[in-house]
Amino acid sequence: MANLNIRSKQERTYQAIVIGSGISGSWAAKELCDLGVKTLMIERGRNVEHGKDYPTTTMLPYEFEHRGQIPQKIQEENPVISRCYAFREDAMHFFVKDTEHPYVQEKPFDWIRGYQVGGKSLLWARQVQRWSDFDFEGPARDGFAVDWPIRYKDIEKWYSHVEKFAGVSGFKDGIDTLPDGEFLPGYELNVVEKYFAEQLKKQYGGDRHMISARCAHIHGNAEYYAAQGRTLCQNRNLCQRGCPFGGYFSSNSSTIPWALKTGNLTIRPDAVVHSIIYDEEKGKAKGVRIVDRLTKETEEFYADVIFLNAAAINSNLVLLNSTSTRFPNGLGNDSGLLGKYVAFHNYRAGVSAQYEGHSEYTTSGGRPTSGYFPRFRNVYKQETDFLRGYAAGFSANRGARSNSDGIGLELKNNLLNPDQYGLWSVGSHMMGETIPKESNYVALDPSLKDEWGIPQLKISVDYDDNDEKMVKDYIEQMSEMFTKAGFVNIQTRDDHRAPGLDIHEMGGVRMGRDPKTSMLNANHQLHAVPNVYVTDGASMTSTSTQNPSLTYMAFAARAAHHAVAESKK
Amino acid sequence: MNRRIALRHLALISGGLVLIPSCDFSSDDILAAYENLKVTASQKALLGVISDTIIPAGEIKGALNLEVPDFILVMVNDCFTKENQDKFTAGLAAFPTYSLKIAGKKFDALSVKEKEELILNGTKLEGDETPEGKERANISYFLNSTKRFTIQGYMASEYIQTEIIPYSLIPGEYNGAVLISDLQKPRING
Repeated sequence: MANLNIRSKQERTYQAIVIGSGISGSWAAKELCDLGVKTLMIERGRNVEHGKDYPTTTMLPYEFEHRGQIPQKIQEENPVISRCYAFREDAMHFFVKDTEHPYVQEKPFDWIRGYQVGGKSLLWARQVQRWSDFDFEGPARDGFAVDWPIRYKDIEKWYSHVEKFAGVSGFKDGIDTLPDGEFLPGYELNVVEKYFAEQLKKQYGGDRHMISARCAHIHGNAEYYAAQGRTLCQNRNLCQRGCPFGGYFSSNSSTIPWALKTGNLTIRPDAVVHSIIYDEEKGKAKGVRIVDRLTKETEEFYADVIFLNAAAINSNLVLLNSTSTRFPNGLGNDSGLLGKYVAFHNYRAGVSAQYEGHSEYTTSGGRPTSGYFPRFRNVYKQETDFLRGYAAGFSANRGARSNSDGIGLELKNNLLNPDQYGLWSVGSHMMGETIPKESNYVALDPSLKDEWGIPQLKISVDYDDNDEKMVKDYIEQMSEMFTKAGFVNIQTRDDHRAPGLDIHEMGGVRMGRDPKTSMLNANHQLHAVPNVYVTDGASMTSTSTQNPSLTYMAFAARAAHHAVAESKK
Repeated sequence: MNRRIALRHLALISGGLVLIPSCDFSSDDILAAYENLKVTASQKALLGVISDTIIPAGEIKGALNLEVPDFILVMVNDCFTKENQDKFTAGLAAFPTYSLKIAGKKFDALSVKEKEELILNGTKLEGDETPEGKERANISYFLNSTKRFTIQGYMASEYIQTEIIPYSLIPGEYNGAVLISDLQKPRING
């Protein structure tokens, strides 16, 4: 028996463990495996294999019993996930239902999760805009959070590295707030979006831009991506079902199969991480304790280096639950900051309108992206009574509709021959930077536990006065830009949605220069436990305005190379 | 879902009806496939006539040929709140009397034109707090929901999306400046 145990322990020992298989975890694993590191990837959910486990991907509209709608009973039982725009009949099997994984909301927080191999990389909106030094220098310039320990020059080559492999389409726009990257051919804006971009140039003297948003879709160089088993995006706009073409980047279609091909990757699905095990004698982390999702049995895995990529809030949970004599308040938590300074993106407001011009035009076909406003507020200097600013999405749409007023044969003929063109509809939504604060935090609930005996998470995150002012400014500025462009019937909304529905929650394990005021150093290592790296949203010192996934990919790749270089010292 | 498919198959075998014990409608059998609604076989048949008036068969199939009444009941059963289910079924239950009162005949016995008028006028009824007003509101709610689901169920049916206006999972490269005058589609005659 003893012999068996020893062998079993050897079998459960790897050179590296990556916790999480989503965007950042799969990037860490892919880089480690490419560098010859025997890597175990631990995922709490079920396995989802590319091409094989996308049950709805080729289903036609009439094959969905409720034509896409989520039944009332499911909505009533799961109010949080039901508020997510992508939680529809075709993709609901990839989202966590409220009832399956409860958490405590001290303040309303819509926590949107995907527990499966690939995580939310199957479900993301695939927008990939780089950060610039206007973002990395934000906290230092404006006096909030702590200074980022890195700058654009530290991450620039890693952006290029991940963009090339993931496949990013876009144009070289030459805008200093949104650096250009390694782009496949971009997707052209439509005729009204181009008109609006030109109007902005005219009206604002080149200070405001609306560009085609860079997106993680393959729009050229198909030969290069064939090596990953992927091909060109087919403009289906059914991405959330999983793409059989691998047209957009997901862990499942790209980094995971690539890492598996090296022979260095082992995936352990259905393993809920309980904690990272700290070796008090050696003064470093030595492994990961998991609870099997199905059998509820505990198991341990060991490695020299551990990457924590469980998604922002769950990475906080894992560290908080990793207690030892040395770290009674959570792994690496000497500063007491773990779980604090959580922030998100403010998605509350939108402005829509109509446009009477270009009435001779419509559009055809599909496209996986739309327009994007890089931040223009408070970029070069402080100009408003709130800090930072917002990016925004923008799109213009027009299609043929049917008059459905009548009845009988007249109605039938109208429906079968849609030929009513209304005015162009235009719309925008804000993506505001929020300021991380100590009072916005996540913590372990002292009594409630989940099905696997792990404490439930308590979330206490809210808007502040800065956010309120920013919402007001976005609505004013966007309305003004719409007016100047000649748009009519302008309507504004502030839906007061709870934080979290942006699905851009960040922080809690922030990077910084000083162990007293941060958890991670410039290389994403826990200051106090340098063989643990955190390279997902938890590591974010500030949020900026850009969709964050591309930055997590670059962080993970950079940190993986750092870990391998360290191990060779 | 499996249960519903099983019940449908059973209904085919037993000649259209699945019988479950009922204390509410002793003379008419409640359909078990829509477990949140107490809808009888004759009410479903009435729904069939109404949906077929909204989208009739002609050169191409109509709502009844495509089992739209089943789609309507599935949507009301699964996707409506309890409150809206109650309004829908109350409107459905009140409709035969409404037809007698307004058109002077059972709905079945009306001409096509009379049926169309009764439904269109019914969608525009406005309710109030009186018992009669509530009934008008229910009938209007029932007819508007039925019309909406008839259109959805018909247009998003296998027949329409494969034989009449084929649906493409791959819509082609985006063109952001298509001249409407260049779009010439053959007119489909219903």
